[in-house]
Amino acid sequence: MKSEEIYNTWKERKSQIDIRENFADEVMNNIYQYERDKGRPLFDVQRLIELISAHRFVKAGVVTAGVVTGLVRIMFVVYNFLAC
Amino acid sequence: MTQETKVLHQVLEGDTESFRHIVERYEKPIVRMIRNIINNRESCEDIAQDVFFTAYRKLASFDPARSKFSTWLFTIARNKSINAMRKKRPVSMSELPHNSDAHNPSDELAEREFFDKLDAGLEALPSAQKRTFVLVEFENLSYAETAQIEGVRIGTIKSRINRAKKQLAKAMKEIRYEK
Repeated sequence: MKSEEIYNTWKERKSQIDIRENFADEVMNNIYQYERDKGRPLFDVQRLIELISAHRFVKAGVVTAGVVTGLVRIMFVVYNFLAC
Repeated sequence: MTQETKVLHQVLEGDTESFRHIVERYEKPIVRMIRNIINNRESCEDIAQDVFFTAYRKLASFDPARSKFSTWLFTIARNKSINAMRKKRPVSMSELPHNSDAHNPSDELAEREFFDKLDAGLEALPSAQKRTFVLVEFENLSYAETAQIEGVRIGTIKSRINRAKKQLAKAMKEIRYEK
């Protein structure tokens, strides 16, 4: 086999491709999901809960903010009570 | 107005399903291009999915006056491939198949070895050379289109192709295929 023939056969082999049958369906499903998400309101409570639950640091941040707010409120009540 | 332009207009006007025609038209060239660049059969289809998804999301930014749709799509695929290669562990020359013996690839096994050697040669090319080679030699894109995708001059593309071919010719010479 001559080098040119080998090279061309190699090129031909590299040009052959088999992709999974449902490739286009998967792409379209992702796109439809994206369109559905786009249609959802920005301040959807359900979505906000999903967002918070999905990220560890966001969850920790929300809990910390809640605890700090609670402590400040308690201190404020105690301060007012003692001031009376 | 070409059929493709019509389809693109339909998608932009809200007919999402029309985008399926684009996916079906380009799925094979895009997957093949990514596979030949990143040399990973498993992840190339996932990257291709991302290419089409990105193309859909950014379709409004496609300007037919600046490039053909295929060139724009190949540019997205090129950028995604570069990102994928950055994440991939680089292959050193010592890891590539090494053939010290001379062979005559008259049978299938020897031919396979020859292809492996060419594959290894392609894999060992510098990233830009490899991408350019894949676009020109496997996707049969013109130098002008490839230059647009790569964002370089045509002269740079020619020189990358020459260097890549020399490198592959060197790999081919390592096996004595003609007696």
